[in-house]
Amino acid sequence: MPVKWLMHWQPNQGSTLSSQVLAEVCQCVEGFGAAAKDRKWRTTLTFYRPMARDSAAAPVSDVPRDLLGIALHDRPSAYFFILRHHRIILQADANVQLLMDKLQSYKARVVLHFEGSQYQLGDFQLRVGKCGPSMSETLRGIMMEVEYLPLSSIEKSRPIMEAFFDIWHETITKASLPGHFVISDSNFSDYGLQDYYSPQHTSLQYATCIAQLMSAGRS
Amino acid sequence: MMFDLSFLNMCSSRVLEFDLDIIQCVDESKLKWTSFHLTDKWSALCKESLRLSRISEFLLLNPLYIIRIMHMLHVEALQILLQGLCGVPKDRVRVHEFCLKSGPNLGVVPSEVRLLCDLAQPTPTWTVRHAGGAMRGAGAEQLSVLVRSVVESKVSNNALRFFYAVGYKLDHELLKIGFAFRFQRVVPITVTVTSANRMPRLHAIDDAVPLTPGIQLVEITAPAAGDNYNEVAAAVSSFCEYLVPLLHLSKPGVSTGIVPTAAAAASSLLSNSGGKAI
Repeated sequence: MPVKWLMHWQPNQGSTLSSQVLAEVCQCVEGFGAAAKDRKWRTTLTFYRPMARDSAAAPVSDVPRDLLGIALHDRPSAYFFILRHHRIILQADANVQLLMDKLQSYKARVVLHFEGSQYQLGDFQLRVGKCGPSMSETLRGIMMEVEYLPLSSIEKSRPIMEAFFDIWHETITKASLPGHFVISDSNFSDYGLQDYYSPQHTSLQYATCIAQLMSAGRS
Repeated sequence: MMFDLSFLNMCSSRVLEFDLDIIQCVDESKLKWTSFHLTDKWSALCKESLRLSRISEFLLLNPLYIIRIMHMLHVEALQILLQGLCGVPKDRVRVHEFCLKSGPNLGVVPSEVRLLCDLAQPTPTWTVRHAGGAMRGAGAEQLSVLVRSVVESKVSNNALRFFYAVGYKLDHELLKIGFAFRFQRVVPITVTVTSANRMPRLHAIDDAVPLTPGIQLVEITAPAAGDNYNEVAAAVSSFCEYLVPLLHLSKPGVSTGIVPTAAAAASSLLSNSGGKAI
């Protein structure tokens, strides 16, 4: 599977996120010579919370409160659960969401969509997206997915991705946009993931990205 | 030589292949396990008679064993019958089943999931399964089958660690050994014949012992949607009719006795196939 890197938008101090910024980022991508593709993309992230037996009683203890579910745009038949504290990524069929609903032990509390346009630029596929709650136009963040098609090894792709990122950073700076992109670096080895890129890597990158977006939003 | 032992244990999933110098038996009235060595003329005759082609002679000599041996013969005969009906080779079943229950206070209701580790594959594969309650009501009672919602999902091999981490505990584990036939007969049907085995120590599958010696569970299942379960139920019931010479299948919770024709049918099947299941 081709390697992907994720980047999230870090607004400058005092500036705010807006769809205008998103539009200008897309213009920069098109300025590169990237060809826009017709299909949109969407990755969905769900925050789960444990349910207590008796709603009036104390909240259930000794269970994780950081259960995350991820549906990737390019793996519609799969679903991923991540427990960040335990460093566990569970890969399952998409109907595991139905199974979780039937158990009634964890409930989906917040659902976020990462969605937007995709572009082809030589050996790269780029996806520029906004992050926001489902059923809402609120913008929580802007991010990019950069996929390098020829390579599956994360380490081998590193120099190429870093070179791409430098050029991209320069482009954003020249366009005087009110912020810059930051690479969402994930600690793959902590989760037992190997150098060969996989959908589990992507799911972890989205989990890292949302954590960093939320942190950027708070500061 | 008098035996107060009325049961022959199936020591492995290969029916009627014993280590014939030692037979383990259970006295059903006392639930006591005993091993004994077969010696002198009983030994020779026992070994010989336990071979399918000589079963009739054995029955004459030792009527205590008639019924139980027939039970074991049924499994062998059932394989032959199913092979003929389904037209597909059997699949080996060897599944390590983990029954997990939600911890105290976790979940709106107590819940249970089963993790199934398929050990029959070259690389074990994992599935998580949740079975809902049975369909109820007048319509359900009229059906000859049990209808319930089942969700199954393939999962990565860290599933047990995941469910422990989200607050589920191991209630019990079983090793299910047997065979299955998967085929199409109006609808996709699966016939599974398994024995359940318990482990004396946690995860010790190599030391698993049968939970109900000599008794196999025969399950016939077929997937259905909300709008076609009547047709699927009819297809399953119709297929079950082919097994009537050997066994009566019933809704879970409704027990049936031994079919009167079973002995004759089993003998016939086995002698026609040369005494060997495929």
